[in-house]
Amino acid sequence: MATLLCFTVLIPLVAACVLALVPGLGYRESRSIALATAILSTLCSGALAFAFEAGRVDPQFAFGSSEAGYGAPWMGSGSVRIAFGLDGLSVWLFALSALLTVTGVCASWESVKEKAAAHYALLLTLETGLLGLFASLDIIQFYVFFEFMLIPMFFLIGIYGGRERRRASITFFLYTLVGSLLALAGLISLVVINYYYGDKHVLTFSIPELTAGLAAITRPEWTDVHPWYTNPQVLIFLLLFAGFAVKVPLFPFHTWLPLAHVEAPTAGSVILAGVMLKVGTYGFLRFNMAMTPLGARVLFPTLAFLSVVGVIYGALTALAQSDVKRLVAYSSVSHMGLIALGLFSATAVGMEGSVIQMVNHGLTTGALFACVGIIYERYHTREMSAMRGLWKRLPLFAFFLILASMGSIALPGLNGFVGEFPILIGAFRRDPTTAVIAATGMILGAYYLLSMVQRVAFGPLEEPAHDDHDASAHADPHAASDDRHEQKVRPVGWHEIVGLAPLMAFIVIIGVYPKPFLDRIVPAVRPIAARFPDSGYRTPSEGSTTALSARRADAVAQRHPLNSLVTKETGL
Amino acid sequence: MDPTLAVLSRALLIVLPEALMLLLGTALLTAGAFVKLSRRTWCALAVATVAIAAATLFSIWNDRADVYASVVLNDTLSRYARLGFLFFTLVILATAHDQVEDSRASDLFGTILILSAGSMLVAAANDLILMFVALELVSIPTYLLLYLPRRDERTREAATKYFFLSIFSSGLLLFGMAYLYGLSGMSNLKALGFAARFVPEVPNIQFGLIAVVFVLAGLAFRVAAVPLHFYAPDVYEGSPAFMAALLSWVPKGIGMIAIIRVLTSTVGGLNSPVADKGFLLAWVIAAASMTLGNTVALLQNNLKRLFAYSSIAHAGYMMTGVAAAFHNTQGSLPLAFGAEGILLYLLAYGLMTLGAFAIIVALGGPDREIATVDDLNGLAKSHPRTAVAMTVFLFSLAGIPPLAGFWGKYQIFASALSSINDDYARSYQYLVVIGLLNAAIGAYYYLRIIVAMYFKTADQALTTKIAWPTGAAIVACALLTIGFGVYPSPTCNVTRRAAIEAIRSPEVTAAPRTATRVVDRSN
Repeated sequence: MATLLCFTVLIPLVAACVLALVPGLGYRESRSIALATAILSTLCSGALAFAFEAGRVDPQFAFGSSEAGYGAPWMGSGSVRIAFGLDGLSVWLFALSALLTVTGVCASWESVKEKAAAHYALLLTLETGLLGLFASLDIIQFYVFFEFMLIPMFFLIGIYGGRERRRASITFFLYTLVGSLLALAGLISLVVINYYYGDKHVLTFSIPELTAGLAAITRPEWTDVHPWYTNPQVLIFLLLFAGFAVKVPLFPFHTWLPLAHVEAPTAGSVILAGVMLKVGTYGFLRFNMAMTPLGARVLFPTLAFLSVVGVIYGALTALAQSDVKRLVAYSSVSHMGLIALGLFSATAVGMEGSVIQMVNHGLTTGALFACVGIIYERYHTREMSAMRGLWKRLPLFAFFLILASMGSIALPGLNGFVGEFPILIGAFRRDPTTAVIAATGMILGAYYLLSMVQRVAFGPLEEPAHDDHDASAHADPHAASDDRHEQKVRPVGWHEIVGLAPLMAFIVIIGVYPKPFLDRIVPAVRPIAARFPDSGYRTPSEGSTTALSARRADAVAQRHPLNSLVTKETGL
Repeated sequence: MDPTLAVLSRALLIVLPEALMLLLGTALLTAGAFVKLSRRTWCALAVATVAIAAATLFSIWNDRADVYASVVLNDTLSRYARLGFLFFTLVILATAHDQVEDSRASDLFGTILILSAGSMLVAAANDLILMFVALELVSIPTYLLLYLPRRDERTREAATKYFFLSIFSSGLLLFGMAYLYGLSGMSNLKALGFAARFVPEVPNIQFGLIAVVFVLAGLAFRVAAVPLHFYAPDVYEGSPAFMAALLSWVPKGIGMIAIIRVLTSTVGGLNSPVADKGFLLAWVIAAASMTLGNTVALLQNNLKRLFAYSSIAHAGYMMTGVAAAFHNTQGSLPLAFGAEGILLYLLAYGLMTLGAFAIIVALGGPDREIATVDDLNGLAKSHPRTAVAMTVFLFSLAGIPPLAGFWGKYQIFASALSSINDDYARSYQYLVVIGLLNAAIGAYYYLRIIVAMYFKTADQALTTKIAWPTGAAIVACALLTIGFGVYPSPTCNVTRRAAIEAIRSPEVTAAPRTATRVVDRSN
């Protein structure tokens, strides 16, 4: 299985090289190669997720063992290693990256015809970057993939993007780079601290070893929080936070996101919102929460504040948008804020909710961006005021849009609910006020998404005026030849169904039966959550109210059937 | 055999590659006056000389010298640095092969050979005097080269500026070296390093501070670090592109290696007042160079000026490694040695800068030089493969993994961060944060070039055809940049060994004899 994992990570890169190096590939051949590769890697990652043993904490599918070191030496005296492996936190994000690449390829099936080979090569390189990142067991390897992803994304936005693409690509690149360079300082510091403060003075770059090693350090320089601004844990937390908060993006680091999304081609948006944003929250969980928990505890009020402001601000801004893509982009800011809140709540329930919600948000937002792409490809506008009642023209599209929106709203029975409800419970246990405010944000979320669906899908049919020249250039000639007047708008094609149907299926499956997903996530989250005291954030005199609210939350959790599952798993 | 004679003959054996290159370079220079050959032939002769030198270097690969007696060393740093200089000489020759008319070609290539011999000698030198001579052996041909290719007003101004400043900096360097010698009575660098272990007991240690300040100032000119950087933009702009390439690489390479040899490996150490002051000085130079280089480069539209400021910024990153190297000692085992980072960075810097300049040189025709960023507009359309290579160099300069430049930055910052137990740990951390923020600023102007190549269209498409030698140099640099990035392990092992060996001053076994001999020699 270890070989299969390496194969899954590298096969998109190989295909990308083929696409880039073989001269004279037309768009037909390129997109077929890309789709075949994407489907192959999705199947492989599906097999890996299926074979993943639930209940184990240590990484799976890795060469080597935790004693001898995972993987193979990469640099220097063998301490920086190249090692692939998956654990409960990464396995679903890994599979999601592969799945959304299929959606990305399908979304650009008809819309990208110029420089198509390069487009698909970049898309597949991006996929390798993401897969490699989630499968990294080495801290430097993680960082290499973390930054490497910027290159293909930069070109995807810059070459294939909209009118403002130059500015968007540079803003995206620089914003992320500033953060990630600071995160690099944080990551190196973690290794140095583990080397000098640890009892055994082990020089290791392995993520599992570092997590264990840093947790075992008992030196007062590392564990003492008084005063907090001299404690290296808190400072490293801030450095790492700088890198990942830009990626998430948390308020107020989000300003690059709407620009990048609006200008990016559909495939870029799908992957950017679907997986790349999760890299930020994944980093929070993997490094900030697991390696520098003290920082999370000390800074909790600020972190919770930023997350909640992000939730509300994103929702209110989305409410004011008339451009569908912009609306979905801002809704991402809002939802990602909620995921971050779940993580920072540092309760087992909240963190598990966040991990599953990362996958859920990837599915729903990926689907929503793909839907926006369907509209844009046909009408060349994304203005909501220009369209109405598209159900009549594109019934299948309307179905996809509605289902994805409902999933995003967290309708019980669909996937969003499985993630967002535990997050709110976790946040409530930690700090009831934030949970209440965040819940308001969710109501706003329902409002703007529903009104978007109402405008776009329902009501009398009203289509944007589009010039025939453009439409005939983009529409399939066979479909258009049937009836020029009625069939000017191409119905939803097979490739769009291939791209969206799996997402829809998972939206429903996770909503109805999340157990197989949570089974794999929960054991990995538990040790991280265990490092945070249940109610130790405040002084004991205040603690009584916290404990009370925690009990109340527990009661809520017990009563709800879904959360009794979660509670049972975590033993809370 | 007389021991002194044995040491001398061993030393001569070790500098055989340099001697051969000097000889053949001079022969080339002289022959040009009598024989008329095409520039391609002259260039081929120069390449053959480099090949001979490389073969000689390999033949003496395992010859070791007595470190306390010999004026030259053949340790890991010396061997691999010389190999590196030879490789980059090839790249420079390929870049310059069609840049001057036939009549001056022999002068050009002969001078380049002499200059390369000098740079190799810097890497091997183990003696203050020889180090100075080697540095001058690079400087003097550089003056000649600046005058050689074009004789217009701007070139002359650039050459004069460089000439005066270079003389000035040599003076500073010599002054500092004199103090170093006066303090110890020794000119052998390894012996100096050995003596410096007992620094707290040395009387009049203040003179050591003077030595550090002046040597660092003299060498800061070569690496184009603040405050002796200001010649770089004018001189780069005033000289032809291939000269700018040479100036951005050779002085920086020798300057950094000289800093490692003369300063950090000798006076460096923990709890040594000299090293502490050296660290502070390097700290200030590093922070100032990075910040000034990167911020001013943001405003440049002229490519040569942009690369000049970027070279100042890169000097700043390397000075961060110097700051860390001042506190590395024999026996300390940090996560990364400062010198290790500098050497890795130098290699990456040479590859990416020379590669980028080679592209600029190759694209410029006789009628149209590539002067500004806008001249590269639409390159991706007219020269797709060249644009890819340029992108590799630029991303590497910006320090994006998995390219060589990233590992250089990583090693340097790791070396600075691994000094957690020092009194100066906080200063190191600030320097790293300044450096990383600078790296992000720096990425902007490299991205601007990429944006010009890929996202803009040219008013008038470039039609230049790239000559195959330059093309080969570009491809080699690009492949190595990617190769070192993807599989850094072998290179990193070499740089680590080189750094450790450069610091190491072995215990003296035959103490009285060696010591007297050292003192004798210096008298």
